[in-house]
Amino acid sequence: MEASAASKPAGRLAGLGLRLAYDRRVVVPDLSVEIPDGGFTIIVGPNACGKSTLLKALSRTLKPEAGTVLLEGAPIDSYRSKAVARQLAMLPQSPIAPESITVRDLVARGRYPHQGLLRQWSAADERAVTGALESTASMELADRYVAELSGGQRQRVWIAMVLAQQADLLLLDEPTTFLDIAHQYEVLELCSRLHAEGRTLVAVLHDLNQAARYATNLVVMKEGRIVAEGDPREVLTAALVEEVFGLPCVIIPDPEAGTPLVVPKVPA
Amino acid sequence: MSATTLRLGGWLSLPVRRRSVVVGGALAAGIVVIALLSLTLGRLGIAPADLMPAILGHSTGPDAIVFEVLRGPRLVVGIAAGAAFGVSGALFQTVTRNPLGSPDVIGLTSGASAGAAAFGLLWTGILPLPVGALVGALAAMALVWLGTGRGFSSPARMLLVGIGVSAMSLAFVQYAITRVGVEQATVLASFLNGSLASRTWGHAALIWVSVVVLLPCALLTTRRLQLMEMGDEQADALGARSAPARSWAVLIAIGLATAAVSVAGPVAFIALTAPQIARRLTRSAGPNLVLSALMGAFLLTLADLLTQQSPFAVQLPVGVLTAVIGGIYLGYLLVAQWKKGTV
Repeated sequence: MEASAASKPAGRLAGLGLRLAYDRRVVVPDLSVEIPDGGFTIIVGPNACGKSTLLKALSRTLKPEAGTVLLEGAPIDSYRSKAVARQLAMLPQSPIAPESITVRDLVARGRYPHQGLLRQWSAADERAVTGALESTASMELADRYVAELSGGQRQRVWIAMVLAQQADLLLLDEPTTFLDIAHQYEVLELCSRLHAEGRTLVAVLHDLNQAARYATNLVVMKEGRIVAEGDPREVLTAALVEEVFGLPCVIIPDPEAGTPLVVPKVPA
Repeated sequence: MSATTLRLGGWLSLPVRRRSVVVGGALAAGIVVIALLSLTLGRLGIAPADLMPAILGHSTGPDAIVFEVLRGPRLVVGIAAGAAFGVSGALFQTVTRNPLGSPDVIGLTSGASAGAAAFGLLWTGILPLPVGALVGALAAMALVWLGTGRGFSSPARMLLVGIGVSAMSLAFVQYAITRVGVEQATVLASFLNGSLASRTWGHAALIWVSVVVLLPCALLTTRRLQLMEMGDEQADALGARSAPARSWAVLIAIGLATAAVSVAGPVAFIALTAPQIARRLTRSAGPNLVLSALMGAFLLTLADLLTQQSPFAVQLPVGVLTAVIGGIYLGYLLVAQWKKGTV
């Protein structure tokens, strides 16, 4: 039992020996990562450290130059692309809302991997869309145009679209960017609830304190490498933040959640 | 809900928007009315009672000539060429995610003009302009493909290089016009505006075959194009493989626009406006291929009817009118939306 578990990655999603590049610019030279099943993995790191690139590779929207991404133990590109999309959903950093599209129609587009050329709409599609709108509290927005929504509402609707995909693995690239602080926490609470309901989440975030509060597995990256990973309470230390971000700080317990709270030092 | 689902047994279920069906039906009816008017109106018009025999080929005398030579081919070419322009524009606008992405802007139409002009310059007398247009359009697209450095994969580069190719092509057209004789320049100028005058059944066959073959191909890419409106990355994440879908869509769009340009000349604005007008009338996201086809056919035949029958536009090349009608209507829609703040 233990031997077979050790030879295969435990998580359903893993990257092995990944070398990631745009054109010829190598962003990630050699990286392996395993996404724990049922966890909420949050990837943090300075700008241009390759965290979004890693997320793209894991969602097979970027093809690695070397190495493989394994989904359920098999190379991800051995599956048909719709089959991957039924297991793994990804929300890019800045998705584009088509002109004159209603919320319901946008969310319905998340059903594509479940549909065929001739069977484009079924009762299951209807249920999935309704369910996604309900669990993101966007039901009352269903018939509005996406262009009319506020930033926070829009992000909820995009998350509803990936939920309609009904994949167990959700990858979110900076889901809180461009949102004010209240809406940032609204989105994070939503993610946390989706995680509690049994989905596996992977998100790229900028805010270390938010990451520490919500992650069950924190992945810290620098210059295309993973510097530390694990429970944020163990991983996030003042020395690590100084090493990775070059920011002298002290770490105190978050008075509300008990998770590590990064407080930058006042420059002497 | 504005959508219902069209079901047939267990294997077919397609979501259909009621508003799209209504708009589509109205456009189809409009095209029929225009067709009847363009055959019956005017001094040479076929009397309504004689129309069926003329269409079935049973009539002799003037009616036969009016239908077989003067107005029939022109109408039939106009419908298909308009549809081809409309679909081509819708495809280009979707893959470039830009309302200005159309064969007019991307260099195809100007390339066709340059090709026609070059043929006019080289083979004086015969002027096989449609062949020149075909060659020019394909050459311009090859230039755009090479010029972007990464084929048709980058919308922004495609538009920029297209505008450059377009400018060079038009400069060449101006040069050619100053070089050919006066008579040829007149013929050339009329072709360069886009005209449906003196078409033949041969033109009709060419454009109809193109539309009948390419439109279904385009429809097969619709679902993936819809997802690509949200960005290639999102489309890929949903399993819609954007790169091959984009290549197919661009090739189909080039095929349709090239066929249309070679039978009708570089008619301005249909490809640009038809999809935009269709989208605003149906108030739904793209690419609306069928409605763009109907809208393109409607606009082009309407404009051609006006050039044939209205006193102020008699015998103008149809392209002049399409530019006016299309431009005015698009402007009106944009202003209306600016006022509502929903552009």
